[in-house]
Amino acid sequence: MRSRQKELLELLDKSGADLYALLTRLTLREEVAEELMQELFIKLNNSRGAGNVANWNAYARRSAINLAFDWRRSHTRTILALGQVSEPVSTEDSPLRKLIHSEELQETLDAVGQLKKSSREVLVMRYLQQESYDNIAEQLGKTSHQVRALCSRAIRNLRDVLGSNDHQSSKKEIHNVTNR
Amino acid sequence: MSQIDENQILDRLKRLSQVEPAKEAADHAMQRVRDTLMREKAIPRLRLSLRDALRRRLPHIVAKLAAAAVLMIGAGFLAGRLSAPEPVNVQELQAALESSLKSSLIPAIRQELLSEMEDRWQSTLAVSNAKVKDELARQVRRDLMEFAAQTLAASGTRTDQRLNELIQLIEAARIQDRRRMASAFDYIESRFGNGLVTLAARTDELLGTERAGSVPDTSEN
Repeated sequence: MRSRQKELLELLDKSGADLYALLTRLTLREEVAEELMQELFIKLNNSRGAGNVANWNAYARRSAINLAFDWRRSHTRTILALGQVSEPVSTEDSPLRKLIHSEELQETLDAVGQLKKSSREVLVMRYLQQESYDNIAEQLGKTSHQVRALCSRAIRNLRDVLGSNDHQSSKKEIHNVTNR
Repeated sequence: MSQIDENQILDRLKRLSQVEPAKEAADHAMQRVRDTLMREKAIPRLRLSLRDALRRRLPHIVAKLAAAAVLMIGAGFLAGRLSAPEPVNVQELQAALESSLKSSLIPAIRQELLSEMEDRWQSTLAVSNAKVKDELARQVRRDLMEFAAQTLAASGTRTDQRLNELIQLIEAARIQDRRRMASAFDYIESRFGNGLVTLAARTDELLGTERAGSVPDTSEN
């Protein structure tokens, strides 16, 4: 038990900042990221199945991804249909532009949450954490070719999910208009 | 179906990858996790030391607790025996209890009975009083009706009687008048006799003459 805590403290020193950044990217809220960080380390400390973990860093990273998407699922929010927001006239960093960007990011993250677990992990590691294919392959115990294929498929799936969400929101909008 | 191309998705993912938390927030979160882990570290150590101490000292503690329990039970038994009261005479107790109960219960029961009786009488009297009043009123009304009927009947009879008497008096007066008239006619007839007839004939002649003199002769004209 003591060695586990020692390992976790080392992990915190080494990758704590990265894990916190990852959680912030996945939740887009710092206070939630802090809570999830606490939860992550408590879970890692109390987890019985983590006795034979070889790579704590990879394990913690994947657990963080799962925790963040669990949180996103439990806090389902009303997504503003982006088609309903008109594009700003100026290209400056206006509040509306920021809102649109924020909504786009939320929408993308929700769509990532709808992917399969393996696709989700690969996508987050590759595109959000900007890790190399080799590094991801090492963490997941796969070859880099497999990781590339997974990434490609994940992007395709994400595109489908986002497209279907967009389609559904536009259909809803049409339905609302006809109801008026 | 899809309106978002791959470049847009990659652009969004890139923007997400550029999201960075504030350094202070990251430090704060890490410090909080560190504190939590240190606390978690301390608790099991405390648990361990408690467990060891218990394991080592458990037989002594159990023996001491057992001795203390025996002593306490013995002391309690002795104290109970010493402080137990003498046996009680059941008959005396019963008599005393009986007299005490009597003295305390009888006045209360009596008082209760009296008040109960009084209540009942009052309610009964109130009911009968109302009944009597009602009956009396009905009786008075009945008597008045009867008296009125009798009075009416008596007055009717009396009126009839008076009327009969009046009729008889009137009848008697008429008979007496007729008799007087008849006697007057008899007296006149006996006194004047044929003179009346002569007087009537002369009067008639006289009246005929006067009528003829007063009527003008139309034949001469």
